Amino acid sequence: MERSFKHEVQSLKLGDGEVFRGEGILAVTKALLQSGVSYVGGYPGAPISHLLDVLVDAQDILGELGVHLETCTNEASAAAMLGASINYPIRGAVTWKSIVGTNVAADALSNLASPGVEGGALVIIGEDYGEGASVIQERSYAYAMKSTMPLLDPRPDLPSIVRAVEEGFGLSETSHAPVMIELRIRACHVTGEFVAKSNRQGVHSTRNKFDAPAPHDYGRLSHPPVTYTQERLKVEERLPAARDFIRARKINEVFAGDLDDVGIVVMGGLYNVLVRALLRLGLADLWGRTRIPIYCLNAVYPLVPEEVRGFCAGKRAVLVVEEGHPDYIEQQINVILRRADIATRVVGKGALPMAGEYTAEAMLKGLAAFLAETQPAGVAADAIAKAVDELVARRAEAARDVGHLPPRPPNFCTGCPERPVFSAIKLMQCEIGPTHISTDIGCHSFATFAPFSLGNSILGYGMSLAAAAAVGPNLTKRPISVMGDGGFWHNGVITGVASSLFNQGDGVLIVMQNGYTSATGQQYLPSSAQHRPGGAATADIERTLRALGIKWLKTVRSYSVATMIKTLRRAMTTKAKGLKVIIADGECQLARQRRVKADDAARLAAGRRVVKTRFGVDDAICTGDHSCIRLSGCPSLTVKPSPDPLRTDPVASVIESCVGCGLCGEVAHAAVLCPSFYRAEVVRNASWRDRALDRLRRWLIVRLGGATGPA
Amino acid sequence: MNADVRPISLLIAALGGEGGGVLTDWLVAAAARCGFPAQSTSIPGVAQRTGATTYYIEIMPVPAAELGGRRPVMALMPGIGDVDLLLASELAEAARQIALGFVTPDRTHVVASLARGYLMPEKTAMADGRLDDARLVELVERHARASLVLDLEALAKEAGAMMNAVMLGVVAGTGMLPIPAEAYEAAIAQGGRAAEANLRGFRAGFAAAQQGRSQAPRPPEKRWRAGASSLAVLEDEAATLPETVRPIAIEGMRRLAHYQDADYAWDYIERVKRIAAVDKIAGLDGRLVRETARHLALRMSFEDVIRVAQIKSDPARLARIRTELGAQDGDPVRVVEYFKPGIDELCSILPPFLARPILALAERCGWLDRAYWGMHIKTHSVAGYLRLRALAALRPFRRRTHRFRAEQREIETWLVAVADAAALTPPLALEIAECANLVKGYGDTWKRGMANYRAIFEHVVRPALARRLPLAVAADAVANARAAALADPDGARLAATLVEIDKRIVLQAAE
Repeated sequence: MERSFKHEVQSLKLGDGEVFRGEGILAVTKALLQSGVSYVGGYPGAPISHLLDVLVDAQDILGELGVHLETCTNEASAAAMLGASINYPIRGAVTWKSIVGTNVAADALSNLASPGVEGGALVIIGEDYGEGASVIQERSYAYAMKSTMPLLDPRPDLPSIVRAVEEGFGLSETSHAPVMIELRIRACHVTGEFVAKSNRQGVHSTRNKFDAPAPHDYGRLSHPPVTYTQERLKVEERLPAARDFIRARKINEVFAGDLDDVGIVVMGGLYNVLVRALLRLGLADLWGRTRIPIYCLNAVYPLVPEEVRGFCAGKRAVLVVEEGHPDYIEQQINVILRRADIATRVVGKGALPMAGEYTAEAMLKGLAAFLAETQPAGVAADAIAKAVDELVARRAEAARDVGHLPPRPPNFCTGCPERPVFSAIKLMQCEIGPTHISTDIGCHSFATFAPFSLGNSILGYGMSLAAAAAVGPNLTKRPISVMGDGGFWHNGVITGVASSLFNQGDGVLIVMQNGYTSATGQQYLPSSAQHRPGGAATADIERTLRALGIKWLKTVRSYSVATMIKTLRRAMTTKAKGLKVIIADGECQLARQRRVKADDAARLAAGRRVVKTRFGVDDAICTGDHSCIRLSGCPSLTVKPSPDPLRTDPVASVIESCVGCGLCGEVAHAAVLCPSFYRAEVVRNASWRDRALDRLRRWLIVRLGGATGPA
Repeated sequence: MNADVRPISLLIAALGGEGGGVLTDWLVAAAARCGFPAQSTSIPGVAQRTGATTYYIEIMPVPAAELGGRRPVMALMPGIGDVDLLLASELAEAARQIALGFVTPDRTHVVASLARGYLMPEKTAMADGRLDDARLVELVERHARASLVLDLEALAKEAGAMMNAVMLGVVAGTGMLPIPAEAYEAAIAQGGRAAEANLRGFRAGFAAAQQGRSQAPRPPEKRWRAGASSLAVLEDEAATLPETVRPIAIEGMRRLAHYQDADYAWDYIERVKRIAAVDKIAGLDGRLVRETARHLALRMSFEDVIRVAQIKSDPARLARIRTELGAQDGDPVRVVEYFKPGIDELCSILPPFLARPILALAERCGWLDRAYWGMHIKTHSVAGYLRLRALAALRPFRRRTHRFRAEQREIETWLVAVADAAALTPPLALEIAECANLVKGYGDTWKRGMANYRAIFEHVVRPALARRLPLAVAADAVANARAAALADPDGARLAATLVEIDKRIVLQAAE
């Protein structure tokens, strides 16, 4: 894994009264253990990867507590795992990145939510929304509504987050509904502290197993005819029970204020942004004392009509601060008030943006608009609006002053084994013309950015081949689908490969076999190589493909650009029909370097031979056209001012971070670029043979008119 | 109590994988050592992979013990006009935060690294696509309440530490936060193995900040050639040239003597003198002759196998590579070169009577773009070194090669065009001179550049000189075409631009 959590694991052991310090998502992990959870699982993805990563590093603690950990192959498998809580009174929690993970899990979630649960079942979702998100911008809220799963959205500070987890289990058990907790990106990574409790062992767990399976109970199957009953149970029993629990346990909070003819209803996760904006407008202080009353929804679904009516009654207007589209909460509040004949005006979308993250700026503008519209007594609403306008105008002016600044999107790491594959695709396209490229989720999607700018569509994780199914038949040239090994095991092997075989599809699939789900932090996957602790790989991509019936299959070392071009050309032009698969084989360089650097350091210290390789550019030979960079984009291949007094264009330069992957040489060769590149190796702790040969060569070269530097 | 107390807000702008997260942790840990409530957030996501990312920290400058059990509500993201301190590990990222409204003259102190991590368009540009560093520094200085711009990368390298440790030291050194140096050092010391290096970096940053002066972008270091006594007569001759062109002309002359021989350097000076005369008549103050002399030296020392072999087998080169690698005395160093000459390159060192029929045959058979000889030459081996020396030894025969003759013809055509244009309208002459920058590189790059150059000559320069294109627009047309040729490697923009220019020619002819 990318990050070691040895330090954090220690804080999972904290007992009653001790103070836990750390990230929000790790606080969730601790809260799960404090809640007597019997099983946990999930699929990695920002922003919740650390939750699983720390658990993987905490096997001994989990063992002591009898907690079963499952690193699932996708979110559907994680959601289905919660099925254990349908029949058995054991608590379980799973986690994934949302919206995408919830989409994948949706079928299992529906079938879980319909029969309902005995043991508390929690889904911790990392709401990948707003700045820093890597997925489509949609809300997970719709799933809570349609499957009748309460959705908690705690205030983004550690005690609130921990409380949401603990109360979430109670809510789930009381209402028999699985419960979702959403944490936005910054909430997952917010640091803070809370007073810990000792970990609790579940009544039943791997250390105290049930003696007998649950008896057959048709009512716990999501199968007709009980599905009709279950639908009724959801609205007649579970939702009311959930609302009662939320009220009784005071999950939602009201912060009173003196301007009580107006009010603000806010999603818990947005509370801090709201309070800071109020503070800047002089309407709140740093401790959260507010002049405008705030109703903070730590449970955003279901709403509690009694609470909503109680808060809104007697107010002229309320502002609903609800991030994202559609405005589910605002609509519900309108319905609740209308049904109760309460005339309070509901302001929300319009004053605040319909779509997009509620940043500090959006919040300031929204509040200013609300105040200007409602003119609360004793508030200089127009002066506030003017001040906010000026602030925004100054920002716009600064942006104009800076001018155009190209974005800096993520990129393949130095030495990444996926970069050469795209160099090869680009060069192949120079020969045979442009090709349709169906892209997928994973590090390889960075090829959609410059300098490759390759890819026609991204349809989701593991979906690239399926997304090309109807492209191929409509195009004269075969489409190329790119999939990572992560996407392959997540579902691509079935949705893509099996489906293509079944339908006699004719296309090209490149599987990036780098050994990890690299984009999310190098977690292991079923075909991870020998370095995985606890045993060898359990699955092999090549053998799996052969077993499925793939005939045209080549495994190519991903750094061999020339071979890759040849293989691609053949795959694109061969008369043979059917799916053609190229496995681009090369270990994730980040993972590899972590291992190699440690190994090399140990070998050097032990006085053993180490060869270090890196590339270089002769700056007197480079003329500054940068073709090499347009075919690579490597962070270690950059430009520097030309040392030539006659040249003004910067020349290419390989910086110290080069790991000597070999791509520069391969590309210069395959593309017929220029002879500026060289590969240099230094042998440390050289053997006597190395040294003798080196001395002899240098002696001869000096005699031939060359000098080779100090001996 | 403390009605006015507000948290100090810190925004860190960094590139993924640089250690911004660790820097954030240090700052929070140092604040915690002082008992100050502190909170950090980040948006790592996939931005961790060398993309731009930010970290945000709030620190209450009052010990928690004095807050009477109350907990401040801290923000999770920076607000426009609400940032006290911006730390940017890269200069353009500092500018990005200015554009986002997070640097304001009333509040924001900025510590920025002078080091540039070039953006992709800056690196992939076909000529010089770099942002102007001086302007970026000026932006920081103008928008910040106070700023300190330092070459943190150089400081880190010197200290043998990571840049984030140096940045922490700078923050401590400026005393902008109410946290004593010991608290930062203690936070670093918890870090285990790398702690020692990080402490070194911290102290380097601390010392640099205490000097309190920003650094300006360093002008690029140029390697001017030394004179040789054998060229004394030539040097004297060059000294008679106008002052504005003299350094360039001397450099060019020395370069060509090394490239070919003293006679060739003479040829160069003669040509420069011709343009100097033109420049004088046109009243261009030496601008034309300076630029032309610069390009002329580069064109005359065109890139061929002989020159590459000469540079690659230069005795000083291996020593430079050893230093780059940090090789200790006695560590064997191995260097492998990547050569892939095609028929073109090989014919370029043959005499015309051999080259022409071979090239004609190759073109007929379609071999030109397909037949290449890939070579990995081991310069450290005796055989590899001898191969390079053998190629470099062809130098005396260069004057008789096919390529040499062709290049001289092109150069003469270009110089005549420059001179003719100067007589018509000086700006056009300057633009034509600049066109030489399109012809550079090797293999496919050279072919593309040459094709673009010829297309511009054909469609713009010649019609302009023949007065078929209005002189008023001719210089702009050449400039536009040249910019278009450098806009994309596929030539799409150039083709479109030339079509537009062609229209003007047709119209003119019809009138």
